[in-house]
Amino acid sequence: MSLANFLQQLDRLEAEAASTLGEVADSEALETARVRFMGAKKGLLKDIQKLLGSVEVADKPAAGKRLNEVKGAIQTAFDEAKQRLDSGTTERQGPQPDPTLPGTPLRLGHLHPVTQTIEHLKEIMGRMGFTTAEGPEVEDPWHNFVALNIPEDHPARDPLDNFYLATAGATSGLEGSRLMRSQTSTVQIRVMETTPPPVRIISLGRVYRPDAPDATHFPMFHQMEGLYVATDVTMANLKTVLRIFANNYLGGDVEIRFRPSFFPFTEPSVEVDFLWNDNWIEFGGAGMVDPAVLASVGYDPESVSGFAFGLGVERLCMRRHGITDIRDLFSGDLRFLKQF
Amino acid sequence: MLVSWKWLSRYVDLPMPLAELESRLALSGLNHESTEAVGDDFVIDLEVTSNRGDCLGHIGVAREVAALYGLPLRKPIVDLAASGDDVNLMTSVANEFVAACPRYTARLIRGVEVGPSPEWLAGPLQAVGINSVNNVVDATNYVMLECGQPLHAFDFDRLSQNRIVVRPARDGETLEAIDHRSYTLDPSMCVIADADNAVAVAGVMGGAASEVTESTKNLLIEAAIFTPLSVRRTARQLKLFSPSSFRFERRVDPLQVDWASRRVCEIIVNSGGGDVVGGVIDTAPETPRTAPVTLRFSQLKRILGIDIDRDEVLRILHSIGCESTGEAAGQIEMQSPSWRHDLGREVDLIEEVARIHGYDQIPEDHPIAVAPSAKRPFDVAVEKVRGVMVAAGISEAMTPSIVTDKVDAMISPWTDQAALATAVPMLEGARKLRRSLLASLLHSRAANWAAASQHADLFEIAHIYLPGSTADELPSEQYSLGMVCGIDFFELKGVIDEVATRLGLPQRFEYAPLCDATSIGQSGLDAARFGMDPDWAVEIRSAGETVGYLGMISKRLNQSLKLTVPTVAAELSLGSLLTQADLVPTQQPISSFPSITRDLNMIVDESVRWASLETVVRAAVGDELTAVVYRETYRAADKDGPGKKRILLSVELQQPDATLTGADADAMIAKILAACDRDLDAKLLS
Repeated sequence: MSLANFLQQLDRLEAEAASTLGEVADSEALETARVRFMGAKKGLLKDIQKLLGSVEVADKPAAGKRLNEVKGAIQTAFDEAKQRLDSGTTERQGPQPDPTLPGTPLRLGHLHPVTQTIEHLKEIMGRMGFTTAEGPEVEDPWHNFVALNIPEDHPARDPLDNFYLATAGATSGLEGSRLMRSQTSTVQIRVMETTPPPVRIISLGRVYRPDAPDATHFPMFHQMEGLYVATDVTMANLKTVLRIFANNYLGGDVEIRFRPSFFPFTEPSVEVDFLWNDNWIEFGGAGMVDPAVLASVGYDPESVSGFAFGLGVERLCMRRHGITDIRDLFSGDLRFLKQF
Repeated sequence: MLVSWKWLSRYVDLPMPLAELESRLALSGLNHESTEAVGDDFVIDLEVTSNRGDCLGHIGVAREVAALYGLPLRKPIVDLAASGDDVNLMTSVANEFVAACPRYTARLIRGVEVGPSPEWLAGPLQAVGINSVNNVVDATNYVMLECGQPLHAFDFDRLSQNRIVVRPARDGETLEAIDHRSYTLDPSMCVIADADNAVAVAGVMGGAASEVTESTKNLLIEAAIFTPLSVRRTARQLKLFSPSSFRFERRVDPLQVDWASRRVCEIIVNSGGGDVVGGVIDTAPETPRTAPVTLRFSQLKRILGIDIDRDEVLRILHSIGCESTGEAAGQIEMQSPSWRHDLGREVDLIEEVARIHGYDQIPEDHPIAVAPSAKRPFDVAVEKVRGVMVAAGISEAMTPSIVTDKVDAMISPWTDQAALATAVPMLEGARKLRRSLLASLLHSRAANWAAASQHADLFEIAHIYLPGSTADELPSEQYSLGMVCGIDFFELKGVIDEVATRLGLPQRFEYAPLCDATSIGQSGLDAARFGMDPDWAVEIRSAGETVGYLGMISKRLNQSLKLTVPTVAAELSLGSLLTQADLVPTQQPISSFPSITRDLNMIVDESVRWASLETVVRAAVGDELTAVVYRETYRAADKDGPGKKRILLSVELQQPDATLTGADADAMIAKILAACDRDLDAKLLS
């Protein structure tokens, strides 16, 4: 090959490379150009380099010198192009992608906040060895009252304070009548009737009381009640379990206090308060299982003792999520439900 | 119970600041609701639990304060001067209803001058919100709020034959009470009567006819005990509640009846003059004491978890009025005070000791022993179900279990027996125990659309109540999963199939149309019961058992709910599903040999349903048939003739242990086609 021919090819390559590299718009194009001009095996520069062998020996120094110049020029053009791209100053033509457009919404449903609260409670109590138990919502007076030490003349059995079923045969509150359970303690009775001690359960579910609905009352709500009956269960155990519960549920070191109260099925009976954000918050009722209750399910109150506590799930749920009207929970309104 | 600070201080010194007393009382059982300044007095609102009737008077509260602070209690001593006459000669009391009135006492005061009360009498009453009436009525109110014993003063001269009869009311007997409303009575109620008519509803309210007025001269003072149940039932039935009925319902101190009677006489005479006639008529002067209670010290530790020193125990019990009647090694015997009806057992004394000693003394570092506890399979299953629902974009609702007649009538796939009902309505007339969740969810969906124009896809997991075969039987309660959506029928069906998969049911659900395929929109479906479009209503079966229903809500129901898009609904019995569920998946081997997929375009009669076709295809080949996939249905009447349709499906064939050859596959396809032809007259499009 003649020197002139060789140099001419180099000139053309240099011009083409300068033009191409000067215009590359993105890193992909730059890479394509690099492979095309500077590729180690099939690059155009490599092709011309191979022709050097066919140049006259006398012309070789000139040819080689020019080859190196072009090589350097292409490298420089490449470096400049790369730098230009890296510094991102390219001006773009046409439509531009907009990755800030919103994501495609994922159409997922929502779990009811009360469900979420119940799962949370079950999880905490489960870690303390309490197993979940459930029972029927339509109950007889034995399980809802008698076995719970609520005698016939007790106001809690009043037909106006309960949802008795309209049955033809029986008088409300007396044997044979049925009612929507007013507490989940009924489940505790059912479990104890069929299980020898020790018993360590939480009972959960809907309960029904004829309260006029307002922001904090609804005639249907959920209760969680805990029961632990074994040998040597004390009120100190009760306080400890409730404190650990509070620490788990509310987080941090929560102070707890007992106030005397009265429930037919526990003795002593207490109201339980938690000190939370410098306020005493009513948590629920608790106490030591009344010996009459233990006896009614066939346990020996002299050999076993137990504690029980109960709380309204909605109240905990509302406090946790800042819900101010209990009626929202049962509205079925999707605008409410989808916030959880 | 409203307590006046000044009034309270008549019975016990109050050296402590108000706030401290409030807090101390709250922490020992008298919960502090609020305090209001009234003039130079403070009125403290205390919540008294139903077992503490003794605290429904200032003396009772003072006794608590005295016990808590170790202060002496000053109960007024009554020094009643009486005339020499004998009350027994002037009146009589016949008790014909001892079950409702175990004790009735009567005293007479003659020549009283009824008029305004002096300040020391009217002032304290006004502080706790009781308007002054006259010196007699005020005296009865004052003593009731002092000691908790309700009292009544009759105008003696207006009692027919000047005598008292305690008896059941006559059927239909009426009484105008001092609230000047007329009440119709029945024989379950106890009345105080004169020789002719009822003059008071026992323990509830006096009558207008014998009311004390400014012209009254002679008084009969009633101090009695009426049984809680009788008073409460009567008050409830008449919807007539009074401070008196409130106290009788919580039981009064049987030993205090006579003290209260003398006390009120003393106050009346002091403010209105007159003479108290000598003697008292008392139908039951002897009050039997309750049996003494033994308290073992070991039981304190066993129940409370702490030891309490013997002397402290005695101090506490004596401070609340218990009297020691004996002591032996490790135990004491106590006579409970007559005003405490709630101290009949050892555990009751344990509570008193704990309460006064202070619950803050109970430690909170006594953990219980570790014990295993596991999630119930039911909870695991429900969690999986909820996961499917949420993933399908369906949100969980919780709706009331008791529904209105209208909602109840919407849809009831499980039963055609009438729903159980409550005696009193729960909300807006709702009395029916729901037989299906679908009606509630449809109601919610409609409310969402009405309120916010949003198509709510909702599910709920709750009990439904299926009536037993007789009215008195407990209902069959079962957990149900209800779904109501605006999505495509087949989309929801896919969701339901996924529930079956996630629960590990042994077989896929079968869907049996509730309606005969040939008689479109007609028989086989009670539209009122199902509320569904007959063409799109199916029973869901699992291993032969009915586990649920799926369908398009009928146009009529959808329109009546003002829903603008078709609604698809389904309900599954979770209890039934759980008995079949396998919640722990077991790995199935994956064949490493290639599969062969063939498309089959079958021409069938319109009446042939996919379920039949699929069953026939699956039955024709063994385990090598790994999948039958529905592709599409289309119709080409010009080529196939009327009444025909084409169903395109794919079958996938594979052997677990060898490569399936083309010839093997052809043979299997031939079997499938032969079976389709034989059983369904289905022909492959050639």
